[in-house]
Amino acid sequence: MAALWRGRHRWKRTNCLHVLTRNLTGKYDYDLVVIGGGSGGLACSKEAAQLGQKVAVLDHVEPSVKGTKWGLGGTCVNVGCIPKKLMHQAALLGTAVKDAKKFGWQISEPICHDWSTMADAVQNHVRSLNWGHRVQLQDKKVKYLNIKGSLLDEHTVKGLTKAGKETILTAKNIVIATGGRPKYPTNIPGAMEHGITNVALECAGFLTGIGLDTTVMVRSIALRGFDQQMAGLVTDYMEAYGTKFAWQCVPKRVDKLSSGVLQVTWMDNNTGNEHKDTYDSVLWAVGRAPETKALGLDKLGVQLDKETGKIVVGADESTSVPNIYAFGDIGEGRPELTPTAIKAGKLLARRLARHSAELMNYDSVPTTVFTPLEYGCVGLSEEEAEKRLGKDGIEVYHAFYKPLEFTVAERDASQCYLKVICERDGDQKILGLHFTGPNAGEVTQGFALAFQCGATYSHLLQTVGIHPTCAEELTKVNITKRSGLDATVTGC
Amino acid sequence: LALIPTCFSEPPPSLSHALFSSFRRHALIRRSMASDPAATDTTRFDFLVIGGGSGGLAGARRASELGAATAVIESHKLGGTCVSKNFKPPVMWNAAVHAEYLHDHNDYGFDVGNVRFSWETLKAKRDAYIGHLNRIYRSNLDKAKIQTIQGHARFTSDPEPTVEVNGKKYTAPHILIATGGQPSVLCDDEVPGASLGITSDGFFELETLPKRSVIVGAGYIAVEMAGILSTLGSKTSLVIRQTTVLRNFDSLISTNCTKEMQNSGVDLWKNSQVKSVRKTDKGLEVTIATKDPEKKNEEEKIRTIQEVDCLLWAIGRQPNSSGLNIGEMIVDTDEKGHIVVDEFQNTSRAGIYAVGDVCGKALLTPVAIAAGRKLAHRLFEGKKDSKLDYSTIPTVVFSHPPIGTVGLTEDEAIKARGKENVKIYKTSFTPMYHAITSRKSQCIMKLVCVGKEEKVVGLHMQGLGCDEMLQGFTVAIKMGATKADFDKTIAIHPTSSEEFVTMR
Repeated sequence: MAALWRGRHRWKRTNCLHVLTRNLTGKYDYDLVVIGGGSGGLACSKEAAQLGQKVAVLDHVEPSVKGTKWGLGGTCVNVGCIPKKLMHQAALLGTAVKDAKKFGWQISEPICHDWSTMADAVQNHVRSLNWGHRVQLQDKKVKYLNIKGSLLDEHTVKGLTKAGKETILTAKNIVIATGGRPKYPTNIPGAMEHGITNVALECAGFLTGIGLDTTVMVRSIALRGFDQQMAGLVTDYMEAYGTKFAWQCVPKRVDKLSSGVLQVTWMDNNTGNEHKDTYDSVLWAVGRAPETKALGLDKLGVQLDKETGKIVVGADESTSVPNIYAFGDIGEGRPELTPTAIKAGKLLARRLARHSAELMNYDSVPTTVFTPLEYGCVGLSEEEAEKRLGKDGIEVYHAFYKPLEFTVAERDASQCYLKVICERDGDQKILGLHFTGPNAGEVTQGFALAFQCGATYSHLLQTVGIHPTCAEELTKVNITKRSGLDATVTGC
Repeated sequence: LALIPTCFSEPPPSLSHALFSSFRRHALIRRSMASDPAATDTTRFDFLVIGGGSGGLAGARRASELGAATAVIESHKLGGTCVSKNFKPPVMWNAAVHAEYLHDHNDYGFDVGNVRFSWETLKAKRDAYIGHLNRIYRSNLDKAKIQTIQGHARFTSDPEPTVEVNGKKYTAPHILIATGGQPSVLCDDEVPGASLGITSDGFFELETLPKRSVIVGAGYIAVEMAGILSTLGSKTSLVIRQTTVLRNFDSLISTNCTKEMQNSGVDLWKNSQVKSVRKTDKGLEVTIATKDPEKKNEEEKIRTIQEVDCLLWAIGRQPNSSGLNIGEMIVDTDEKGHIVVDEFQNTSRAGIYAVGDVCGKALLTPVAIAAGRKLAHRLFEGKKDSKLDYSTIPTVVFSHPPIGTVGLTEDEAIKARGKENVKIYKTSFTPMYHAITSRKSQCIMKLVCVGKEEKVVGLHMQGLGCDEMLQGFTVAIKMGATKADFDKTIAIHPTSSEEFVTMR
């Protein structure tokens, strides 16, 4: 660790961490201590340092049940967005090989996938990102401490190293950005996919794509919180693609057999019957829970949401205790997305440095689900739009289209679909935009910008399409759901 | 004479703004007036379209939906360049993209053995799909009760604008010329043996992948053709007169695309021109002269490329206006033969209009379609102001990786507003797709902003996914988005497009 020089004060350079001497700025060691070195925590601390604040960030990964740990960067880098997208890409390539044959490529069958080649490559990339983040913190002069942080009082953080050594840091402001971890059900031993979030579908999707026999067990509905028509298209595609679904099923128990495989017993709530089957691996993707227990928040009176356990936050990310803030996945009611955490963290840093008063806008957050058929969206779901304006207050333009690359590849495009939900009257302002198809993430970003600018339906139609792409279909959509007409696109 | 039914049995689909309540449904055929002997046997329509390509068909269909008795005259296949010729590069590009994926498969854990490419397989599937599209076009026209007339149209010397096709005459108060364009060729007088080469039209007749290809040209067609051939396995050279390709694009794109082409293995001949072409028993011998204008003392170098089995001229396109005999109609054309039109697609002769490639402006399918439709609304729905806005037209070039561009280049912005009023934002990165591949390609992005409010007037990029990225940003730019609007937009992660909304 580099020794820091500040005027006449010299920091003691030690192998273990001691209490740091008082700094120039006042009675605290730091202006800002951030607990959590994930997407949000890193963005916040770097921004604060850039604005001249003295910042420390504490990051610590509690090993999982199986003992898995990882480096700096949080969920996104290590066990979230990044490895997910790379594995999703691997699965897409698996499909591409099949398509390639129709495009004239003569490939000898069968094509096999080797898990460890992919896993090693992904891990190497993740490690390079861990390293990159360490270097960045150093460059931006943020003190990084790989210790487990907890709160002693509103201005004091206690840190615990792996060896058990204690450190005390004092700070003017404390930010909690400890994120979440996957939930393990307490009443069922073992694991089987149960309940459904985008994480579950994404994992099931790429596992199927690389050739593994995968089943998704769903207690009730898929993609809760998302537009349900779109969720149906996503899961329909996955079923056609080879992923098995066990709808309205709840696991009862998981046993390990002498052969080493896992036997899962579940209740099918459609029929009322019990079933059993064996699997090599069982994956829980039943939601994520906040990391708050070890933080000592109850002692300080930081208010937590009773149901979710997340920290209750104000529009400015403040908690019930002044000078303690929280944002990212740990904040109640916040989207569990990297880009919102990053942006919120930066804005918070600016406010704390008295650089600006701008609050984070959590509306109009675009997102993409990276299932085999990707789904990108921004704005309201159709259900939410109907709830707010009534069925007669909205106009939904929609179309089923066929990506060009599916034609020669002779692939079924029945779930490639888009819809634009608009206010029915006046300018027909766009309330929500939904798109399933290849590259949905890349398609949606620009439309999210237009949405942010208050785009209307006519803005879409006035824009000349780019041909041939999938995205252009959003500028040509003209059949309404109300008309009841066939919404399949035919030719130019 | 063909009879066209007098009314539709049900309103045609599409268009949510109810257009159909007020248009007339009228009798469509009448024998011409007996008092005009010169006009006997002239079939009369409300709207006559010469050219069944993107622009012509779009205009015809919309006019027909609005109640006009419409006919389309087509001398070849319905769908025009887009379907039969323009459509093909993207399909071929998909095939080439697979080539690149196949290189990456091993890195992602797939054991893909030896791979070979079969041009024949692709051509068969592609042609089947084109045939399918042709049939769809035909069926759409039939459903819309538009008469199609097969043959080549020429204007006659009749006082009222009239065209003749295969000895029969047709007229209408509104005639649309949408005959498109064709590849330019050099004649054998200019370059001996030029006719031994093919154009992009001929590319699609190729039965097998050429072993050795030489492409001449620096525009997007040359770039796309060279990319496809090279990636599918043909040893490819690209001959350009200056030092970069896509010279009319933003300089960042021009430089980057040139570099990516060379990196991908295309043999680039700069400052070069083809002098002559000779046929030998081993293939074509192409003689090329190279002279670097910077090195004034150096002599012109003459070299040859041997055993070429495909020489492709991609040196530009010219309008299909000469065979129409439009001189009779006093329709103005420019020196290249493009039909001159105003912002409403009017030519210099009342009652005659033109859209699409034949006008020489923004040679793109969606532009022709939009212009054709806007015209139909103006003529048959009384929307006097209906016209296409030609600013902010997005374009994608299906190179490797693809290019997306909309609006002004940096140089154009500086010229229009002065350097002090232009702010540029740039970034370049390696897309995450390449995190674990040995093969790498870059993604480059540029925003051109003007004024204090930093209004975004140009967006340029090259990289994986740029073809699908551009559309949404175009909507926003057309709405007048500023850099601040970009910054306010939350990113979608992980994507490449998010880099646009997090640029510093």
